[in-house]
Amino acid sequence: MSQSKAVVQKYARATRLLHHIHTAAFIILFITGLVLFIPQLGFLAQDSWTRIVHRLAAVVFIVAPIVYLVMKPKAALRAVADACTWGTEDVGWLKAAPRYYFLCDEEGMPAQGHMNTGQKLWWFLVIVFGAVFIVTGLVMWFLKTVAPAGLLQWMVFAHDVAFIVTGAMVFVHVYLGVIHPMMTEAWQAISKGTVSEEYAKSHHGLWYHEQVKEENTAPPPEPKEVVEVH
Amino acid sequence: MAEKAILYDATRCTACRGCQALCKEWNENDEVIPAVQGGVKERNRGSYENPKDLSTRTWLKIGFNEVEHYDKLDWLFSRRACMHCTDAACVKVCPTGALYRDEAYGIVAYNKDICSGCGYCADFCPFDVPRLDGNRILGKNKMDKCVLCTQPGLNRLEIKQEPACVKTCPTKALVFGDRDTLVATARQKVAALKAKGFTNATFYGEKELGGLHVLYVLNDTPDKYGLPVDPKFPSTATAWQDIIQPLGWTVGGLTLLGLAFNFIIAREAKMTKELPGKAGKGGKKHVAE
Ligand code: HEM
Ligand code: SF4
Repeated sequence: MSQSKAVVQKYARATRLLHHIHTAAFIILFITGLVLFIPQLGFLAQDSWTRIVHRLAAVVFIVAPIVYLVMKPKAALRAVADACTWGTEDVGWLKAAPRYYFLCDEEGMPAQGHMNTGQKLWWFLVIVFGAVFIVTGLVMWFLKTVAPAGLLQWMVFAHDVAFIVTGAMVFVHVYLGVIHPMMTEAWQAISKGTVSEEYAKSHHGLWYHEQVKEENTAPPPEPKEVVEVH
Repeated sequence: MAEKAILYDATRCTACRGCQALCKEWNENDEVIPAVQGGVKERNRGSYENPKDLSTRTWLKIGFNEVEHYDKLDWLFSRRACMHCTDAACVKVCPTGALYRDEAYGIVAYNKDICSGCGYCADFCPFDVPRLDGNRILGKNKMDKCVLCTQPGLNRLEIKQEPACVKTCPTKALVFGDRDTLVATARQKVAALKAKGFTNATFYGEKELGGLHVLYVLNDTPDKYGLPVDPKFPSTATAWQDIIQPLGWTVGGLTLLGLAFNFIIAREAKMTKELPGKAGKGGKKHVAE
């Protein structure tokens, strides 16, 4: 296989930074939450310290996206819009996914946009359950003495539902990003920001061709290896 | 050992609050009344009831209820503290096991050292009894409630003594003993009250929450005494602990299994595609590229 040198930028620096900070906060929240979730680990929560760490991490979990939203409002809003934009290629993806992910059969897989359907699903879950985490968490944190007991009871419940959904799906996310045999450059995309042109063509065809089209109509960009995105 | 209980006979209670005072004294729950020059800072709340609420230092208090009682205004007293439920919601939701059911006495015992201060017990208690103290913002708290005089070092049951509140009660409105015996006593008392014309007389605590370990003889309906009429084990506690948590384990476990399964199949498939002929042979970790 000839290694094409040309690379395309997939994620801007700020996006990658947000991803990593949010991931770190999530992992800490996951672990410090888990000790309350597993009765056998409960003793670790003794004297409140895991709960204090949970709150500190929660601050990062809430503030990081807000900072991003303020500094990169356009990119942030476009990303949210992406999560809500669904088309026929998504139906195609859903149909082709089992053969693709189990049998590595690329045949039926329609060309995908900047995010493929699976990534978009995860991103959608992150937005929805991120909001659930934040709202329910803040209620349990700050309204503990004033909110009616019944509300607080449902808050833990909803917090746990969000925990179960995202906690299970985050493993799928990591697995597909760094372990699955087909996803060769997903990790590179989020760590270094770039993917090879080849990977962009085969995994995110729609997006890649849009980029190329823009390139052709746009006033001459620097015709370097790096194709700027967003 | 037979399960123990306290029987509180509201008809005998004079609201002297000796129990409230000795509870504090025995359990070392001193409370300072905020003082200002020439007096105290407390405001008159229009009631003899004091303090206003249970707290981490007030595990027991006598309530003063001014209510209509058989067509005349009356002053009904009631004892408020942990009810020591058999089906205790706090025990169910406590993530650390700090709250647990003491099988010998049947009470809700507490190991304060391992309390995480989460306050779930307070959220789920049908009687609104547990109280937390600490830093609300940091979340560094400790819970406290009546433990029926079983505090380590101050354990009265261990030395075959009745709880402090019972010990001090001058009218025998409070008695301590085997639960079965007290249930029988309470039944008789309520029957006698009814015979005397107190048709609403109620025996409270026999069946509530699987059986309370604080039993009440009331000569009116429970609401007149500030008690919840039909307290229930919160369905949210069941939904959370018995449904959503096991479901969480199942979902988490199946996800990981599924991923492992996918990896085995997908790697095989990828190798077959890229290295025809060598499929599955050699077993080298020949992943993508
Ligand atoms: C983003 C803002 C978040 C806030 C403000 C927050 C806050 C809280 C609060 C207040 C509690 C109740 C216990 C306590 O008082 O310390 C709690 C419990 C918990 N949190 Fe969070 N949290 C957040 C995010 C997360 C995330 C992202 C996860 C998991 C990945 C998570 C997992 C848990 C778990 C598992 C529990 C324990 C629930 C149980 O006892 O079953 N939280 N959180
Ligand atoms: S506050 Fe303490 S006793 Fe109450 S549920 Fe939480 S860990 Fe258990």
